[in-house]
Amino acid sequence: MKLTGRSGRARGWPWRRGTGSGEHTLAGAYAMDALSSGDRVAFERHLAGCEDCAQEIASLSEATARLAAATAVTPPPGFRERVLAAAVVTRQQAPAETLAGPAGARIPAGRTPAAGFQAAARGPVAWLRWVARQGWRVRLAAAAGAAVTVAVLGAAVAFGLANGSMRQQLDQAQSSSRQIAAVLTAQDAVLRTRAVSGGGTATIVMSHSRHALVFTAAGLHPLPSAHSYELWLVGPAGDRPVCMIPAGGHGTTGPVIASGLRRGDHLVLTAEPAGGSSRPDMPMMLDVDL
Amino acid sequence: MTASDRPEPGNPARHATGAGADLAAQIGLVARGDAAAFATVYEQVGPSVLGIVRRVIRDPAQSEEVAQDVLLEVWRTAFKFDASRGSALAWVMTLAHRRAVDRVRSVQKESERERRTATADIPYDEVTEAVESRLERERVRRCLGSLTELQRETVTLAYYGGYTYGQVAILLGIPTGTVKTRMRDALIRLRDCLGVAV
Repeated sequence: MKLTGRSGRARGWPWRRGTGSGEHTLAGAYAMDALSSGDRVAFERHLAGCEDCAQEIASLSEATARLAAATAVTPPPGFRERVLAAAVVTRQQAPAETLAGPAGARIPAGRTPAAGFQAAARGPVAWLRWVARQGWRVRLAAAAGAAVTVAVLGAAVAFGLANGSMRQQLDQAQSSSRQIAAVLTAQDAVLRTRAVSGGGTATIVMSHSRHALVFTAAGLHPLPSAHSYELWLVGPAGDRPVCMIPAGGHGTTGPVIASGLRRGDHLVLTAEPAGGSSRPDMPMMLDVDL
Repeated sequence: MTASDRPEPGNPARHATGAGADLAAQIGLVARGDAAAFATVYEQVGPSVLGIVRRVIRDPAQSEEVAQDVLLEVWRTAFKFDASRGSALAWVMTLAHRRAVDRVRSVQKESERERRTATADIPYDEVTEAVESRLERERVRRCLGSLTELQRETVTLAYYGGYTYGQVAILLGIPTGTVKTRMRDALIRLRDCLGVAV
């Protein structure tokens, strides 16, 4: 719908008739985020019951979007890679879960340190999953072995949860997520997305300066129980098994880290007997030139 | 880098209306977890997101952090984009501008705000050199030039400066009612000048 403003009065919309009264005069200020938070809440209540106002806001927002686009700058080196890499390990919100209010005002459930402690108490896998769900800052802090891991371990000790094996598991989790973060934040990090033959999509973030890559996949076809997916690095230095890929919930896998990456390597995904193999079986379900 | 990691080669109309439908379709793919589509969305909106966030916040490090959060929010909540409510560009830029404004209002100390006032009209530094961006910028500048001085000042202070209409009224020494109507009139005129509508 094209609103011309000048003809609004002629069209007879009563909310356009006034010159200074009524909440609709705030449309311009609202579209520019120039309302205080209290005014914003009140105006949004008004908007909910005023379809014409919502239409006007939508059309004014097209204008402000152009004001924004006119400020485009060239991002600093590494910015693109950091954004794309962070997305790869950030869980997307599902439509059914969106019961919260306006974007930005929300504190996602499970984002609290307490949730981290609970996840840690359920074991390293739960903790890694919790870390993977966090915002990139929390994740990087966690991965850098700083705040979260130390706090989680500290809390586990304080609550008497940490026996020797758990401490070891936490150490492993900490070391693995630290390696993942090192790849994701590397200046030369490169993102690759490939279809997996047989179904699914693999996403790889690799860094030659870190000699490592991070692998995640979604929608992998389930294998018979006696088989598992296995990841390989194949290249001039020989064929090296990376790891068996644990079956994830909803076909989502990883992130897993593959270190020892060398120039000329390919990343290969195969289906192998559940115990693993010494060399990759055909067919390759994924072959990525690194 | 191979072809599937990159968006289509630069199309001069990328930022203009012709790219709108394309961007909306890419965001639809992002909602289904398509990381390659997200890379394409980044190419189209990343520089603008960082640009508007930096224009409002000023501090480069904070701006980068907020811009990254905004882009990740696009990734996380792509399913919320509703093409019947407006363009994809407007959806992303609304997220970006609001997040930037919320940041300056929540953390900025009075002294810093005063310093920002003094520099609120630093114009077109660090801009991208891409042709489509330059054309877009010229068009916006021309349309801003078609506003009355008061309209232009209210838009610049509110949108690029991140001030509330009440603060704009104080800065310009005019009644709040006048500011409200000038803001609305200005955006209507800009919208018509830029030829954007929903």
